[in-house]
Amino acid sequence: MNGSSVALDGGHASAIVQEFEPRIIGFLCNWCSYAGADRAGLSQTPYPPNVNIIRVMCTGRIEPLFIMKAFEGGADGVIVLACHPGDCHYKEGNLRAAQRHALLARLLEQMGIERERCRFDYVSAGEGERYAQLITEMVESVKKRGPLSTAA
Amino acid sequence: MRTGIYFCNCGTNISDLVDPEKVSESLRDTAGVGYFKTCQFLCSEQGKEFLEQELRDEKPDRVVVAACSPRDHEATFMRVMEQAGMNPYLMQMVNIREQIAWVTRDPERAVRKAALAIKAALLRVALHELLEKEEMEVSTSVLVIGAGPSGLKAALTLAEAGRKVILVEKTPVIGGLPVLYEELFPDMECGPCMLEPLMGEILHGDHAENIELMTMSELSEVAGYFGNFIVKIRRRPRFVDMGSCIGCGECVEACPAAGPNPFNCGMDQKKAVAFGFPGALPNVPYLDPGLCSRFSDGSDCTLCSAACPAGEGVVVYHDQETLVERQVGAIVLATGSALYDCAPLENLGYGRLRDVKTAHEFERMLASNGPSGGEIVTSSGEAPGSVLFVHCVGSLEDEHKPYCSGVCCQYAFKFNHLLESRLPEVEVHHLYREIVAPGKEAFSLYRAARDNPNTTFVRYDRLADLAVSGEHWRLQLRIAGGRAIDADLIVLCPAVVPGADAEGLGAMLDVSLDRFGFFEELHGRIDSASSKVRGVYLAGACQGPADIQRATNQAMAASGCILSQLVEGRKLRLDPLFAAVDPRRCSGCKVCVKLCPYRAVGFDSETGAACVNAVLCHGCGTCVAACPAGAIKANHFTGEMILAEIEGALQ
Repeated sequence: MNGSSVALDGGHASAIVQEFEPRIIGFLCNWCSYAGADRAGLSQTPYPPNVNIIRVMCTGRIEPLFIMKAFEGGADGVIVLACHPGDCHYKEGNLRAAQRHALLARLLEQMGIERERCRFDYVSAGEGERYAQLITEMVESVKKRGPLSTAA
Repeated sequence: MRTGIYFCNCGTNISDLVDPEKVSESLRDTAGVGYFKTCQFLCSEQGKEFLEQELRDEKPDRVVVAACSPRDHEATFMRVMEQAGMNPYLMQMVNIREQIAWVTRDPERAVRKAALAIKAALLRVALHELLEKEEMEVSTSVLVIGAGPSGLKAALTLAEAGRKVILVEKTPVIGGLPVLYEELFPDMECGPCMLEPLMGEILHGDHAENIELMTMSELSEVAGYFGNFIVKIRRRPRFVDMGSCIGCGECVEACPAAGPNPFNCGMDQKKAVAFGFPGALPNVPYLDPGLCSRFSDGSDCTLCSAACPAGEGVVVYHDQETLVERQVGAIVLATGSALYDCAPLENLGYGRLRDVKTAHEFERMLASNGPSGGEIVTSSGEAPGSVLFVHCVGSLEDEHKPYCSGVCCQYAFKFNHLLESRLPEVEVHHLYREIVAPGKEAFSLYRAARDNPNTTFVRYDRLADLAVSGEHWRLQLRIAGGRAIDADLIVLCPAVVPGADAEGLGAMLDVSLDRFGFFEELHGRIDSASSKVRGVYLAGACQGPADIQRATNQAMAASGCILSQLVEGRKLRLDPLFAAVDPRRCSGCKVCVKLCPYRAVGFDSETGAACVNAVLCHGCGTCVAACPAGAIKANHFTGEMILAEIEGALQ
């Protein structure tokens, strides 16, 4: 992977890694995680601006293809945030999303896209702090991995 | 395609951090940008007027609004679009306040993030389609299933508003369980007296003509959906004509056959033709073919009909089961609950020892129209010297039901009060796991029991630790590793559990059950009077253990939902954000049918393709993502739109 070779590159590594700002796509559901992101805004909890958000009504709508296309289009990471189990506005779309993510993550690994680059987690409408924290962690972990090269 | 971008400064909330000029600058060479305009407060009255005038003057093909969260004002700006004569779905909002301005420290990066988000929206909105809200005629009649307190209250509330109500009750009588209880917690009000005015209104009141009551009836088939249900109701024969019977009871006197009385839990006998119990409404007896010799032995007995002062034809021996079809717009489930079966709890002696009763049986013993005429007696025929109540029988225990049934403590302390006043010397013991007496009313009976010197409280841990032994009225309850208590009568307070018909009704109506078997509500706190199927509402203990107050409140809440959602003369407007199947691409695998949590996806065997019912579809898109053939489209959230948005966000 591009990222690991950068990290191993001795003295230059830290300077290069610092400059690298990953591009990440975040899929949020309208009812919980998107509202959680809004809550982070209302409480003015800062987090890095690397994640651009795609809003869907339910994480159950997310096709694995969307995530593959995001990586193909140059994303260094993808984060899917769903309602907590039992809280889904549509009963169980979040659980479908979780199942699909588990399968996709295995496939992505075979393609050389590490698990850290495609994360799935849960955020409720009230968890602004948690949202900011998850986004911060995501950006940090992808930064450590370095840019994703899909050319190979 | 010419897209107009409106950037709301939100006073300085947005523009302080996300400089609109810099954003505009970075969009300069982006394809599709017709123009970029800013506004101080786009959601204010002036802002909305500005936007409307702008849209009229500029006539853009598409609109992007970069402002606050769409959760705040998407609906606001969609209305402005409509007022300006544009299709409201040709707009895309970009959340640059909550998700950029308020959370990004570096202004340069905030500008870059905003510009990317707008680029994503530009690509997406170009693909937006002219969606329309479809309109549909609806029936405003309502089917209410169950004529206990909640069903009665729902039926009357709806009838008073002028709605036609079909009230279906499976037993021959109305009033549910409390009509059998002569004194109710928390204030000893008489159950039948409390319900009489409500039942009177249902049967003979000013709005009774709006209510079609069908007793001895059950729902047998359902087709359709919110606004247009076709229901079939199976009506068992009563063998007594409701219209011509005068309720005198001469037939009951004349009847020679008798058998166990279900209204008194089999503790006494009833005639083959009988009222449910003295004072039961409707005031018309019913004939039980299981007891009548005409049906069981093929005799030609006509004593009941001969005794009828209203003449022949009131007792109808050839009465048949009928299937009645009605069209309704909504359904209220008010089927109540049942009590946990105590028979398998062998250690408690129920069924084995005659003086171990359930609370329901004890209620009937206390009632003046019950098997003992209201006298508290053991099988010895004498009044008990000591009574022991076992609380939490099946409640609060994972092996049985993990939840608290909520009503048992209160009726047990009511029993305590009644025993104290009727048998002043009686000793009372309460064996409990937890005591629950919430709210502003429940504490007084609890305190009265606590203050009674003849009453003791003993805590136990597990139901399995209890062992009841003895013969008839000389009973002893031993707690493993602890004390033994003698009692002449033991009353079990069983958990409140779902009614026997919940599962069948749930399957018929596609209404899901929760993990305990109660009907599952749309939302536990703010939508507990609605089920997850649109048009099916929940009232009372069929949704979870409930007292009368909660049950009737929920009935009125369900009625309120129906009155506001199904309005006479108003068509149902369907949100166009539903899924649609392209039958040419559908291979008929039915993955979507199984996946839909709302049973909105059906299968059309003629076309061999799945089809989505737009009324039932909630628009989550789970089926769309699952379709292996890509045959399902989520309106306004199509794959193309989302992929375009991803592409834009990665430019």
